[in-house]
Amino acid sequence: MGTRRNNLLKVLGQVGFWALIIVIFIYLIFPFYWATISALKTQSELIQTPATYWPQEPTLRNFRAVFQNPGFLRGLGNSIVVAGSVTLLSLVVGSFAGFALGKLRFRGRTPSLYVILAMTMFPQIAVLAGLYAVIRVLGMPALPSLVLSYMIFTLPFTVWVLTAFFKGLPVSLLQSAQVDGASTFQTFWKILLPLTAPALVTTGLLAFIQAWNEYLFALTFTTISPAARTVPVAMALFAGEIAREEPFGEIMAGAIVVTVPLIVLVMVFQNRIVAGLTAGAVKG
Amino acid sequence: MTVKTKPGGPSALARSEERTALWLLIPSFLIIAIVAAYPLARVVMSSFTNERFAAGAEIRGEFVGLQNYRQLLSMMVLEVPQRLDADGQPVVENGQPVYENARLFLRRLDTELRYDAVRTYDAFGTRYVLAATSADFIRAVWDTLAFTVASVALETILGMIIALTLATKFIGRGIMRAAMLVPWAIITVVSARIWEWMLQSTRAGFFNTFLTDIGLLDAPVAFFQTASLQVPAMVMIDVWKTTPFMALLLMAGLATIPTELYEAAEVDGAGPVRRFFSITLPLLTPTLAVALIFRTLDALRVFDLFQVVYGEARYSMASYAYYQLIASRNVGMSSAASVIIFVMIFVFAILYIRALGVERDGD
Repeated sequence: MGTRRNNLLKVLGQVGFWALIIVIFIYLIFPFYWATISALKTQSELIQTPATYWPQEPTLRNFRAVFQNPGFLRGLGNSIVVAGSVTLLSLVVGSFAGFALGKLRFRGRTPSLYVILAMTMFPQIAVLAGLYAVIRVLGMPALPSLVLSYMIFTLPFTVWVLTAFFKGLPVSLLQSAQVDGASTFQTFWKILLPLTAPALVTTGLLAFIQAWNEYLFALTFTTISPAARTVPVAMALFAGEIAREEPFGEIMAGAIVVTVPLIVLVMVFQNRIVAGLTAGAVKG
Repeated sequence: MTVKTKPGGPSALARSEERTALWLLIPSFLIIAIVAAYPLARVVMSSFTNERFAAGAEIRGEFVGLQNYRQLLSMMVLEVPQRLDADGQPVVENGQPVYENARLFLRRLDTELRYDAVRTYDAFGTRYVLAATSADFIRAVWDTLAFTVASVALETILGMIIALTLATKFIGRGIMRAAMLVPWAIITVVSARIWEWMLQSTRAGFFNTFLTDIGLLDAPVAFFQTASLQVPAMVMIDVWKTTPFMALLLMAGLATIPTELYEAAEVDGAGPVRRFFSITLPLLTPTLAVALIFRTLDALRVFDLFQVVYGEARYSMASYAYYQLIASRNVGMSSAASVIIFVMIFVFAILYIRALGVERDGD
């Protein structure tokens, strides 16, 4: 009797567990599903009430419209250039600093690390007006100024992760190279840097995603040069062929277009990304 | 006594190492100076001036002391007088006293700075009004704090549930973990637009259709136009977007807890609830602390969601500062608002670190 009761409880527990898994899964994925089916709907089905849970006459019209929208395409191009350059710049600058802070002995090491880490706390809004002034004084075009200003959030993180990584490499590598007569920089560039490839991939991906996502600076610094708008700005100010109504079908199609490549990237590198996200948060 | 070291000896090596280190750090510090230190210093300076810019040209402001801060932060609580009839007697309708319009009442006051009503409260048979010189900013601060508390609390609870569920080994765990990265990978602006579409005020939107279909709603709700639902709607979007991040951090923390502890506790007869509170939670505290700090600081500077969905209809602290700069071109005021946000975030960070004792985990 008792065992049967226990078995019943076990089954109920299993059912509850799987129900919870399914609810979580639907919660995570549903908005993306809704965006996808909305993008496939015709204009009349989109404004129809009540909304349909499945497109009645699926059409690619919205996707076609998005790919013919010059503002959106330019945004994609700009975002790729900006996020790519930010990634490259933070990796180069960050690995220099990470090597110095993680492997070299010099006075002022700890304060330097703290100064760089303190930047993580900077709310972007706190420097917005000042940064805007700097860019105007330097007469910098919008795209390079975005690349430079994004370093405020990518650099501290990159330096933090790479410092920890360099610290973990055996000191003997550095010493034996020095005995062989290699300069410190040569040791770094030729021997240690290739070993940090996994950490470089992780931090690079996270820097890319952060830059791809950024909105406040992009919105502010492109106010006077709409041609430099990045994807988030283009999505926020999306204008369709008919100006009166917000073209949600096209907006959803745009949302899918900018999200799918990122999701693919994230799926391919998911282990690295999770490792990167949790670096520093968990001592392990 | 001096120790002479030969060139090429250990000391020369140390010196060359030091020199290399400094060279390698120059790019980082140069960038920090240009994008963080100087701009921050400049923002602090201009927060004490009435600097504005117009049509591309900057107008150098004059020093105005704490004027901007007074303008942003001056507040007072006043009693709202009852409306009087022609004979000077208070008007009573249905046994309830009738009050004057708070806004008009404040406008009549003879104060140096003009006050506007943030909100009114009824207590002990009197009506009070919270008046502020920048009602919009005070409301933005309040909304942002409410948003932060609500979203961080919900994210933590949901994140914990998800993390504990996914901590068990089961078929399809990989798929679940991949699914968790979907909200995280979506651009915040894009997620705002997707939810904006799902929360449409008519039954063209998902929520109004679905909630009517299952009988929870009789008529469509205008989520974004109803004042009391505006902040909860933002919380809902933010929770969806950031819970996975929280769950991932917590999962990583859970993975570091040795399973033997649970086994031992089970042998001792501790139930799942007991095990959670005496093993999981205490050992997870450092991870939880870091996650809470990250999320709180992030939530306090929320900008994208509010700006995309509400524009100037409802502000977060950051979007208020943004519109002061871009729409009103009021560099001084915007800077003062930014400094206030900066100080608030700083205070929060210190409080958290103190309360949760994270510093012991630093290196």
